[in-house]
Amino acid sequence: MYIDPTTGSLVLQILAAGVLSVMAMATRVREAVKHFFKVLVPRRNRWPGKQ
Amino acid sequence: MAWQAIEGSFRDPSGFVYTRDGTLFRQVNHSFRQPFEAFLASGLYDELVRDGLLVPHEQVGLELAATNDAYAVIRPEQIAFISYPYEWSFGQLQDAALLTLEIQERALARAFTLRDSSAYNVQFQSGRPVLIDTLSFEPYVDGKPWDAYKQFCEQFLLPLTLMSTRDVRCGTLLRSYLDGIPLDLGSRLLPRRTWVSPGTVLHIHLHAWARGRYAGSSVSSAAKGRSMSRQALVTLIRGLKGAVRGLKWRAAGTEWADYTEDNNYTQAASRSKRDLVVSYLREAGANVVWDLGANTGEYSRAAREVAPLVVSFDLDPAAVERNYRRVRAEQETGILPLLLDLTNPSPAQGWAGQERLSLVERGPADAVLALALIHHLAIGHNLPLEKIAAYLRRLGGRLIIEFVPKSDSQVKRLLLSRPDIFPAYTKDGFEQAFACHFRIESSAPIENSERWLYYMSSRRPNG
Repeated sequence: MYIDPTTGSLVLQILAAGVLSVMAMATRVREAVKHFFKVLVPRRNRWPGKQ
Repeated sequence: MAWQAIEGSFRDPSGFVYTRDGTLFRQVNHSFRQPFEAFLASGLYDELVRDGLLVPHEQVGLELAATNDAYAVIRPEQIAFISYPYEWSFGQLQDAALLTLEIQERALARAFTLRDSSAYNVQFQSGRPVLIDTLSFEPYVDGKPWDAYKQFCEQFLLPLTLMSTRDVRCGTLLRSYLDGIPLDLGSRLLPRRTWVSPGTVLHIHLHAWARGRYAGSSVSSAAKGRSMSRQALVTLIRGLKGAVRGLKWRAAGTEWADYTEDNNYTQAASRSKRDLVVSYLREAGANVVWDLGANTGEYSRAAREVAPLVVSFDLDPAAVERNYRRVRAEQETGILPLLLDLTNPSPAQGWAGQERLSLVERGPADAVLALALIHHLAIGHNLPLEKIAAYLRRLGGRLIIEFVPKSDSQVKRLLLSRPDIFPAYTKDGFEQAFACHFRIESSAPIENSERWLYYMSSRRPNG
């Protein structure tokens, strides 16, 4: 590293890492659930007349 | 053969750029051999170049190196016109930020990381932002947070947030703070409502606090053995992307926002002016044109029919922004909109005043357009005509300039609330003042108006 990252910035990332990991997992779970429902009910959500 | 140093390139021990006979080279030092080879071998270079995110380069012979430290020498694709973050519109800075984050995300996917995230590593080429620092990549170390996170926040996120939530003119703070707006300053300047936005709270407010809190500590004592997984880092980058994308600025409400629709030109007058500009430029054989006071770039686009590169300068952030949005939407190459106050142009900056070039140092242009401009300088800013001519001569070898007489409604508007103290501001006075610095090659009246268009060439070689 040739720029000074400064301690505070590194520490903030580490402190935030826990929260960020949870957010990443939550996003993955949400996407998985969405995908599951898309696969399970592919055409049910089509109302008559809707394109 | 001697090499010429580029004064702004000295901070990075991995290498530096210099020129030989006007061609730009980048020397890669021995100390950086491994990361550089790994970067090329990993496929990351190919991917980034293929997608237009990084400038391509050619490896050349070591005999072209500058010093004995050289492990390799590369010749990157040259940037047609160097510009700086404090000259960019909101959208340009935003796109440069997104480019940096996109590159970092792709780098992480291949176990690399950006060593720095300076806004000066981005330039605009063919209408799009591109990374120019080929040596910015090093192998990612597991568990290590991003070294360039603070730099990214101060150079990109914070200025953009200030421009979006406070006032677009906050962007000019980048001229004073070349390393980016300090987090603590930005945190204080931001409006209270930004404390509700999680992204701003984390990346700016908390970040500013953390810098103060941990200023005297070492990372190991502060972090107490914890580290940051790659997944968490990717999430951070994506979060930053979301934060940057979420910032909006309506390009309106500034003084010149409605000019193009609101001026006094008839269609015939515009067409006549346009045709004259194009024919003069064809005569000049210009490759690089600087359009001063270009507003949203209507005449820049006319110039573009003749010249491969038109730099489209204007004082008004909304005008530059609209110009850029059009460049982006229509994927125009060869037009570069930039922010410029001609009465206080970008100066030379940085260490010894040599790291960032002044406007004049980045010229001269082949041709300069000064359309619908002279009255603002001479009357709006009390500049003597001769002084205007002297400066314009330094900017380019040919000048296409529009004289706007006092009888014109735009000038009348300027004189509405002040006495007319400009006896020399007449067509003759104009021609006399400019004849000191230019040879008037030809002139023609603009149809349906009292304005005249002049085509001039510099009398003396540009100093």
